[in-house]
Amino acid sequence: MPSSLKWRIVLICAVTALGIYILIPTILGLKEKREAALQKGEELPWYYHVLPNKGLNLGLDLRGGIYIELQVDLKSAVKRQADLAIYDIESTFKDKGVSFESITQPEGTGTISIVFKSREDMEKGLGILEGYAYYRERFIVKERFENEEKPRLTIGFSNEFLDNFERETVRQATENIRNRVDRYGVAEPDIRGVSGNRIAVEFPGISDPERAIDIIKRTGQLEFKLVDGYEKDRVIFFNMKDGEVSQPQLSAMIDKIKEEEHLPENYSADTVSKINEKLRDKIPEGDEIAFELVRDERTKKVVKALPYLLKGKAEVTGDMLEDVRLTPNSMEQRFEVGIRFNKEGTKRFADLTEKNVGKRLAIVLDGYVNEAAVIEEPILSGEARITLGYGYEETEKKARALSIVLREGALPATLTEATKSVVGPTLGKDSIRQGIEASLIAAVAVVLFMILYYKVSGLFADIALFVNVILLLSLLSVFGATLTLPGIAGIALTVGMAVDANVIINERIREELRRGRTPKSAVENGYKGAMSAVIDSNLTTLISGIVLYQFGTGPIRGFAVTLSIGILTTLFTAIVITKTIFDYRAFKGGIKSLSI
Amino acid sequence: MEILTGTKIPFIRKKWYFISVSLILIALSFVSFYIKGFNLGIDFRGGVKFVIRFNSPTSERAIRESLAREGFDAIVQQLGESRGERFVVKTRQTDATVEETSSKVKKGLTGAYGEGNFVVEAEETVGPKVGKELNRKGTMAVIYVLLAILVYLAFRFDFSFAPGAVIALVHDVIITLGFISFLGIEFNLSILAAILTIAGYSVNDTIVVFDRIRENAPRITPSTIVGVVEESINATLSRTIITSFTTLLAVVALFLFGGGVIHDFAFTFVVGIIVGTYSSIFIASPIYIFMYRHWPALAVKLGIRKKY
Repeated sequence: MPSSLKWRIVLICAVTALGIYILIPTILGLKEKREAALQKGEELPWYYHVLPNKGLNLGLDLRGGIYIELQVDLKSAVKRQADLAIYDIESTFKDKGVSFESITQPEGTGTISIVFKSREDMEKGLGILEGYAYYRERFIVKERFENEEKPRLTIGFSNEFLDNFERETVRQATENIRNRVDRYGVAEPDIRGVSGNRIAVEFPGISDPERAIDIIKRTGQLEFKLVDGYEKDRVIFFNMKDGEVSQPQLSAMIDKIKEEEHLPENYSADTVSKINEKLRDKIPEGDEIAFELVRDERTKKVVKALPYLLKGKAEVTGDMLEDVRLTPNSMEQRFEVGIRFNKEGTKRFADLTEKNVGKRLAIVLDGYVNEAAVIEEPILSGEARITLGYGYEETEKKARALSIVLREGALPATLTEATKSVVGPTLGKDSIRQGIEASLIAAVAVVLFMILYYKVSGLFADIALFVNVILLLSLLSVFGATLTLPGIAGIALTVGMAVDANVIINERIREELRRGRTPKSAVENGYKGAMSAVIDSNLTTLISGIVLYQFGTGPIRGFAVTLSIGILTTLFTAIVITKTIFDYRAFKGGIKSLSI
Repeated sequence: MEILTGTKIPFIRKKWYFISVSLILIALSFVSFYIKGFNLGIDFRGGVKFVIRFNSPTSERAIRESLAREGFDAIVQQLGESRGERFVVKTRQTDATVEETSSKVKKGLTGAYGEGNFVVEAEETVGPKVGKELNRKGTMAVIYVLLAILVYLAFRFDFSFAPGAVIALVHDVIITLGFISFLGIEFNLSILAAILTIAGYSVNDTIVVFDRIRENAPRITPSTIVGVVEESINATLSRTIITSFTTLLAVVALFLFGGGVIHDFAFTFVVGIIVGTYSSIFIASPIYIFMYRHWPALAVKLGIRKKY
């Protein structure tokens, strides 16, 4: 056998076998069983470790669930930011001896109007706003009225500042939704920013949409709680009832409990409260265990959870925070987070820090610890700096993340539903059944037609078609693509379009035969002559698929993905596989006649 | 079995018959756009859509009337397969937020049918902002697809081929849209997806014909072009028809058996594929001949080329 033919046969068999291997979990429905087992904390049978753990994802329209896009209300966020800026400018002007009549935000538009006592004051005020980098970067002067009796100045946020602010606000909202969703304990949530300052949240297979939406939209609960313990040689020890326990020891205890009690592999509110319950006799009165979640940077999945023993009572809460700022400290070469409390907060924070110097104070958002900073000195002014180690690069990311958390407590982003779709599980099941039935009928009709019209050559095309569908499905599951109802239609459509390539090739072969060529050379020339038309026509369809992917969301994306991958697999199967079968026959006994 | 081999149909010489059919259909499509417009789904218009299953059979009219009492001008459609139990209910946003409208509709139905006598199986709400944005993005997507195909063809074939293929494509999109408008099919995201796919697919047949003309290009001179093109169309006729036929088999199966969402989606394909095949055979090639004859002079006139 010629070695090129041999290798092609090996390649085709290998690819087909790989495709079938990848599809086994989907066919047997192992993914759902695996999740169920993990939720219950059961041991997995051996074959789970041999088979791929990805299966074909079913889209919301098939599986049931919620898709919701939330609009981040930037207008009101900008308005609040302007209010904070007014406070800021007022105190700076007072410090520098600039006399002003009033500083206001007319109509909540995000612009600030400053009325000065005199022209000199205005000059001085402008000097400050344009002289200090902090103000220069934030504001632009929009209008000035120097010649009026009371000189007046209108300033607004600069475009760079607004862009940055909007980006941060959307990010803040996204991060916090992610946290709250974890608290709810949903499997495989998908949370991402989409265009137009919206956040898309997808919960597959959820039974209680109202509650899920409530949880997403609730504003964050920020609390400052004391860590019940101390630190020695960079290890935190907690004061448990029967003695000191280090953080790693506590972590091990919790792991053991989770295993014994078959608790699910997550840190949802439910799970955390169960852990607390089980450890009740070891936790001091009034204390509780809370977790700091460590996420994988890319997938955003929780990879580790560090336990903390916290004093139960929140000493200071987020509503007492007035402002949060991420600031570079050039003296010490690092980023810090500056916070400022209101009157009530200042008093409580002073009281707390005076009594607990040297202890750690945990910043807790929606029940999760985000940072446990050491109280270095009593803070009486209501303005505190949180430091997070040294070095610009090392501290920037941490400081930014923390400022997002704190800001959620102080200045929660308001979310409104922009679009939502909820699909109940029964509707999904009916859709799947009908979709699959229709696709099977489509496939059978195409397969029969090919055999009827092209006889044995049609059968070859059908074999290629079969492999095509296997490859298409397995690629979809490797890419983690989501199968939607239009996606199923896309597969049926691919079946109809895939044989087009074979039709074009076979018609060409017939034509060559009519010209009186031998079967062997008709096949060779048929493939050669048809190739350009087959490739060109498939690529234009691929172009549509790609544009559609860029444009679409949810179900439409699912369709675009199946269509595009289907074209790629078609190019492989319809050309390579059928040609290899012809070549193999030619090698076996030569082609004396063609059944076409 | 073989069909349509050895035909000698005078496609080019009788081109005006075929072009008139297309022109009439296009004109009718525009009339329909103007008079009937589109039945825009909530994807593009904003609003609320439910799929509701009732425990005992009811009718479209009964549901519509019970909602009218609450002040809603709702569109109610029974979903084919069930016996008066499963319905789609759609309405525009009537309150400050879509959520409010949504809960009012549910309350209205609870009032009429009683608590627990129906299940909301699916719910979709689209705010007006999102609807507008999709509208714009959808139009852009269609334009991008057409441009990308034009560029691809101009690059792969000679430039004189590209306009024929793209005009045939625009022709297919307009007539398909005309059918959707005329029949009042709900224009939603999946219909748009179908239109975009048709744009990519219907050009396939044109490519098959053009590929053959390209192969015969050495024989083309101003005096032989009509003969060569007609011969090319006739030679590829069977495959043009059969490729469309196999795809048509698949979409007709989806149309007949796919149920709810897939039904209209598949119908759009049925129309698009038939119209696409027609334009590949009758429309694209005359334009190629026109371009072949007049493009060099036209290019000079338009200042694109310096000389012939």
